Amino acid sequence: MKKILFVLFVLLLAACGGVSEPDVAEETGAATAVPPTPAETMSESAPEGAATPPGYDGQTWADILAEANGQTVNFYMWGGSDLINNWVTGYVATAVQEQYGVTLNLVPVSDATEYINKVLGEKEAGQDSGGTVDLVWVNGENFRTMRQGELLYGSWSQFLPSAAYVNWADPSVANDFGFPVEGYESPYGKAQFVMIYDSARVPEPPRTIPALVEWIKANPGQFTYAAPPDFTGSAFVRHICYDAAGGYETLLGEFDQAIFDEAAAACWELLNEIEPFLWREGQTYPESRTRMQDLFANGEVSFDMAYNPAEASSLVENGRYPATTRTFVFDSGTIANTHYVAIPYNSDHKAAAMVVANFLLSPEAQLSKAQPENWGDLPVLDPALLPADLQAELAAIPRGEATLSTEELSANRLPELQAPWLTAFEQGWELEVLQK
Amino acid sequence: MKNLTLPLLLTPALTVIVLLFGGGLLLALLQSLGYVPAIGRTDLSVEAYRRVFSDAAFGRSLLLTLWIAGVSTAVSTLIALLAALVLRRSFPGKHLATFLFQANLPIPHLVGAIGILFLFSQSGLLARLGHLAGIIQVPADFPALVFDPYALGIILEYVWKSSVFTGVILLAALQSIGEEYEDVAQTLGANRWQRQRHVTLPLLRPAILSASILVFAFTFGAFEVPLLLGARFPSALPVLAYRLYTDVDLNARPEAMALSIIIAVIITVLIAFYMQLTRRQR
Repeated sequence: MKKILFVLFVLLLAACGGVSEPDVAEETGAATAVPPTPAETMSESAPEGAATPPGYDGQTWADILAEANGQTVNFYMWGGSDLINNWVTGYVATAVQEQYGVTLNLVPVSDATEYINKVLGEKEAGQDSGGTVDLVWVNGENFRTMRQGELLYGSWSQFLPSAAYVNWADPSVANDFGFPVEGYESPYGKAQFVMIYDSARVPEPPRTIPALVEWIKANPGQFTYAAPPDFTGSAFVRHICYDAAGGYETLLGEFDQAIFDEAAAACWELLNEIEPFLWREGQTYPESRTRMQDLFANGEVSFDMAYNPAEASSLVENGRYPATTRTFVFDSGTIANTHYVAIPYNSDHKAAAMVVANFLLSPEAQLSKAQPENWGDLPVLDPALLPADLQAELAAIPRGEATLSTEELSANRLPELQAPWLTAFEQGWELEVLQK
Repeated sequence: MKNLTLPLLLTPALTVIVLLFGGGLLLALLQSLGYVPAIGRTDLSVEAYRRVFSDAAFGRSLLLTLWIAGVSTAVSTLIALLAALVLRRSFPGKHLATFLFQANLPIPHLVGAIGILFLFSQSGLLARLGHLAGIIQVPADFPALVFDPYALGIILEYVWKSSVFTGVILLAALQSIGEEYEDVAQTLGANRWQRQRHVTLPLLRPAILSASILVFAFTFGAFEVPLLLGARFPSALPVLAYRLYTDVDLNARPEAMALSIIIAVIITVLIAFYMQLTRRQR
């Protein structure tokens, strides 16, 4: 019995050791990071005509910089990637410390609900100032929840100097999964859906949904998609539904059962029309994106798809996909989403939080973030709004041959829908396509 | 003091069963009745059960699960019986044969399922060999043995693994039965078939029964193999429960728990029925 207890104890120790390991990695990352050059190229004043953030009436960006100096920002973010953690604790923390005197403290969480519950708990306890959370990494449903719970600081993000490089007219930036951003969060990075194909098998991929439908019918058994609610498969179904509904515009905004019924009916009709021509005659669908990757890698199907434009390149790099693998986006665009940072309403360090958000959005940070060895995240800035030298730098970022250019991606973006639409489409697909 | 020995010895095992198993079942039952305080639901109702039973997918999943468990149990028991009867005899290479027969015992089901996938999928090893031999041209020419509507891949995996499990139990049972009864029957003039039919099989019945019940209960309630090798629809009941459990909507949690309780009840009832049936036959 003692032996067993001892073994259990050792196991427990080992488990604890495993948990604390990332911290060590973060510290070494911070120590080895190269301090960035001072950002002389950055315009250090708010974009013209931008309204000042609430509580800063009549003040300038310089005033906010002065207030931020010496403050500490507790940055709550998903901490599951060593690569991302090291970039934040190393490059970003060093830069904001040296350039603005702001101390950045990363607090890793495994899920956004952790910090939402923390802020919510503080609000319920009446702690309307001195909150522990100063900045959060957020998007989609969690942003919506925080907005609806009135847990966020007001409209501030368009006042940031770096916001001048953001194309606010792009619906996939101005809306976070269909929910209007309205300055309550500041863009941080992007993800975009791409279609993947093997150029050796399909020299000219179909670039519109109708052309794809025709291709599928002409090449039975060569196409399939992962069964929703798989993240990627679900996004593919939305592309079909956008097209069947005659465009995404009617689907934006709050969930509307009448609009959904009409759009969905056309969508299911189209999906059922192609079903007999899918892999296995559509009698079954790959359970997950991983299965889908196997099918493509083994040549059972001719197309794959990913909600990450750079994924195909890395799969080619590590030898899973053939070297002739390429990606494309539909002429009508592909769905993109943006991830953001936001400031809780009860933070005492809003100025410093804004300074960090501004730095994260700056061309130098976005370029650093886009380097595959740093993170490889898609920049959220519009290349067309950047000065020529930064455009050239952006274009020079090493990218795999299968990855499309930032220009091509950003010119073909479609917005995401609000969460209730997503679940409705997923459940509808199960009943009307899978089980029919 | 001596009276305490038995309860003391039993306590660890009983604690595990009562606390972990019984506690888990009780929590599942509570949640299936809609008691999920984390999302602010505390009213008890049988709504989740109603929704599970009214779902057309449930009936098809139940039939599929019974088919998988029934066929896997029957085929693997038959193979195990034949193997055990052969392996108990003396023949050259018996040790090697027994070792090979039992070789897959330590291999987990998960690994077995992946192996089946690598071997029998339409782009698996067999399909590739077939392509090399010129028998098939494209992956779709290879018969659909995984993700197929008849769950052949799942049954294949269960038979591969369970026939050894049952076989080992039957071999042990045969060993403890010994050969005396058969020798007696032989001296009384029974031929080989008669000895097997009227002496060995009846003696083996309890072992066959308990082993096949275990196999049936396991194949009915396990989810990883059907998840990996099954078609997307209909899917085995445990896979359906897992999908509901991982649904983004926390309101689906009671349905997932209701389905798990239903699975537990079905297994219990089937086993009780099975035992009743075989007891009467005696």
